[in-house]
Amino acid sequence: MSTSDILQAIGPLARLWRRAASPGDIVQPEGAEQHYRNGLMRMRGGNIDGAIEEFDKAIARMPTLADAVVARAELLDSQGKSAIARQEYERARRLWAEMPAGAPDRRYLYRRHGNFAFEVEAYDLVRSNVRNKILPQLAHGNALLGCGRAKEALNSYERALRVKPDLPEVLALKGEALSAMGRYEEAVQAFDRVLTAFLSDAETLNARGIALMALGRMADANADWRRQLELLPPGQSAARACVAMRQANYEVAFKEFGLALAKEPANAYWQLYRMTAGRLIGASLDPIALPAERHWPFPLLALRAGQATEQDVLAQGDTPNRRAEALFQLGVLALAGNPTVARGYWAEIAERGAPMLIEYAAARNELARLGS
Amino acid sequence: MFSVILYGRNDSHGYNLHKRAAISFNALAEVMSDPDDEILFVDYNTPDDHPTFPEAIHDTLTDKAKKVMRILRVRPDQHAHLRSKTHLVALEAQSRNVALRRSNPRNRWILYTNTDMLLVPRDERESLSDILGGLADGFYQVPRFEIPEMLWEAAFDRRDPAGNLAKLRDWAVRFHLNQVVHNYMPMKYDALGDFQAALREDMFAIHGFDESMILGWHCDSNLAARLALYRGRVDTLIDKVFGYHCDHTRVAAANNKGRATRMNDQDQYIWNVASPYVPAQAESWGWPEVEIEELRLDRDTAYQRFTAGLTSTIVPATLPFTTTSLEWQLYEDLTYDLPHTLPFVCDQVVTFPRSTAILVVATRPDFLSGFAKAWKNMGFTGPVLVPEECEGLPQNLEGVEHAPFSDLLGRADLFIFEFGLSTQMPSEPVRAGRAMAPVDRKRLRVVERLFKRAAAMEAETRPPARRMPRRFIGVNVIYNKFWTIFTDHVGANINPFCSQVLAGPPRQDDSVKGKVLRFRARHAL
Repeated sequence: MSTSDILQAIGPLARLWRRAASPGDIVQPEGAEQHYRNGLMRMRGGNIDGAIEEFDKAIARMPTLADAVVARAELLDSQGKSAIARQEYERARRLWAEMPAGAPDRRYLYRRHGNFAFEVEAYDLVRSNVRNKILPQLAHGNALLGCGRAKEALNSYERALRVKPDLPEVLALKGEALSAMGRYEEAVQAFDRVLTAFLSDAETLNARGIALMALGRMADANADWRRQLELLPPGQSAARACVAMRQANYEVAFKEFGLALAKEPANAYWQLYRMTAGRLIGASLDPIALPAERHWPFPLLALRAGQATEQDVLAQGDTPNRRAEALFQLGVLALAGNPTVARGYWAEIAERGAPMLIEYAAARNELARLGS
Repeated sequence: MFSVILYGRNDSHGYNLHKRAAISFNALAEVMSDPDDEILFVDYNTPDDHPTFPEAIHDTLTDKAKKVMRILRVRPDQHAHLRSKTHLVALEAQSRNVALRRSNPRNRWILYTNTDMLLVPRDERESLSDILGGLADGFYQVPRFEIPEMLWEAAFDRRDPAGNLAKLRDWAVRFHLNQVVHNYMPMKYDALGDFQAALREDMFAIHGFDESMILGWHCDSNLAARLALYRGRVDTLIDKVFGYHCDHTRVAAANNKGRATRMNDQDQYIWNVASPYVPAQAESWGWPEVEIEELRLDRDTAYQRFTAGLTSTIVPATLPFTTTSLEWQLYEDLTYDLPHTLPFVCDQVVTFPRSTAILVVATRPDFLSGFAKAWKNMGFTGPVLVPEECEGLPQNLEGVEHAPFSDLLGRADLFIFEFGLSTQMPSEPVRAGRAMAPVDRKRLRVVERLFKRAAAMEAETRPPARRMPRRFIGVNVIYNKFWTIFTDHVGANINPFCSQVLAGPPRQDDSVKGKVLRFRARHAL
């Protein structure tokens, strides 16, 4: 085993002595995030050039790593290279803004844009210095969950719960991590405890609904979402619309997406979902105004406008979630003419889709209506 | 585009507050360019008889600052329910939430800062409105840079914000002012509360500042913790704006007692925060049901109201001066110059809420008619209440209600007791040795009796919604026989004779003498 291999293996342990970090402690990086982490350590150690070098490497491996872009920008700015830095700050903001966020009816931590690489590192540092407190663990867990690292997030939440066992706010997050790991039964148990303490916690009702739907307990899931819809104030039209859509309650969804669209006219999803709900209730719809931005979900709007084919959208649905969204729209278009075909599209979502997707819940409700 | 939210009161918080605040108000207004932009200043718990803080320094503010500023006045009575729970006289979370609730809904951003900050766009061509207008949704902070006290005090011109910003750009380089002080997440920077820009929508979603934080300090860190959870990230605007703070630690402010400073619990409000929300105050934050007065500096000012009131009731003097005297042989002479006295009476009331109901117990008919007219023309909407026990006063005056004293006592927010001679004619010389007529004596006895009863029974007759003692204004109570009577019952300052007026709350004298006085006053016949 080479020195490099040993250093690689003990990489995570380097965090234990971060307070006394020196450039010599830095392990050789493999991926972008490791370069980013090394950059932060060098930055804290005062090695500006070394840090910039690491951030450059991180960005080269992962150009969308906005956290590295902004860290590099701050260093350049501090060195007087403000004109270059300014562009980099803007680039980072664009990258963050373009990252997809979760549906607005979900818990706050899923409604955020970003990859949270900085937060993972920063809160790790905080929790090693501010011990036995809840926030550092909880924020660390949220950042990890935002990166899709549910198992590590669960560990952070459990450490927070050791500080204050049964704290409902943290139990709710533990439930989210369990749900993200597919441990739906345990997630439901955690959410049940939260809802015993906070009967009207709309975010937890949503989360329990998702877990229940994943377990096939459709009636219970819909009951939670109905209750959530009752609790959401009229001003939160986007959240109301999304939770109505999950229940396949298209009358309400159509109206609420209309309100949401009035607030955010550029939101392509609200336009798409409003058209979807409208079609399914037979409402008269305005002509489709295709957005200038061509990124997802543009292909789905193009499909609805008759400017893209099934093959086009399935080809561009290059992630499991996008594929599920595409299949749902294909099902909606097929329903009137050929319900069997629609059933086929939606059955794939029910089998393979992620339960947190709006389309997953709506498809399962539709399948139930079709008698599948 | 954005609402800046600030708070304070008309006192002396820290070194040379007036200069710091004027510099800051003007500099903030200077970097605004959107017609919806506003500075919301919550004037918290300034005594009712004082103007608000911005009114007190209005002459040092630029026209632009006056135009964009909305003053929301939280009265002592509205703070009274919190008074026993805190050592502070101005509460940050309550103030900022009152403003947030009432901020312009067209504005996307809320900017929290303080009245000693100057925000300097790094690109001189950009305003803060331009900068915020171009930003993606998020929660943004900037590091705070310090300005040594000597610099801002000696070299800034309060009414030249553009010049001050230019000076700062120069000093930043010459005196190495720009030092970023990093902090643990979620704070990100030290002194973070001097620039926290959040979406208005987000602030409503998380229920504003946590109003259980009433001991001072860490409100900004708590907000950062909750918004960091809600948004996931704390973004920087260091590439676009530098924030400079007028250092003011030569003299410690009221909330700074060194290591003995009382403050909100750090663990509870920072390190053990577990949620962005404060569900316990979801419906009540920012006091949505409470009527908060709004004042402007560019229109309908207290001065305009004062002059409108007096112009309606007194005519300009035709002589270079008039005379009176405080010599002791005139102790029994209760004549006074009404046109000279009314401005001092109006001065005592003009800062009170317009809805105030004022109880006027008087002897002189011209005092009542003159005051009632001034009251109406100062824009007051509350009634002038006059006891039926006071004889010889004009009836049917607009806005004046007559009823038995006992019925009015519980409706009044403020009292005026006027001790004059009902027989005094406008053309009479003042304090020339005039004796009282029997009718004067009779009517003065009524005023004295009602005064004593009102003062003695103030607490028990207070309107149910009121928590603070009501104020008593005595007219013609200096250096005459009613001076001691008035000050036996009212805690008034020593005022110059020329002002003719004393005022204060009922005295809380728990000595035997005080108790006897109150007992006799309650049963005054």
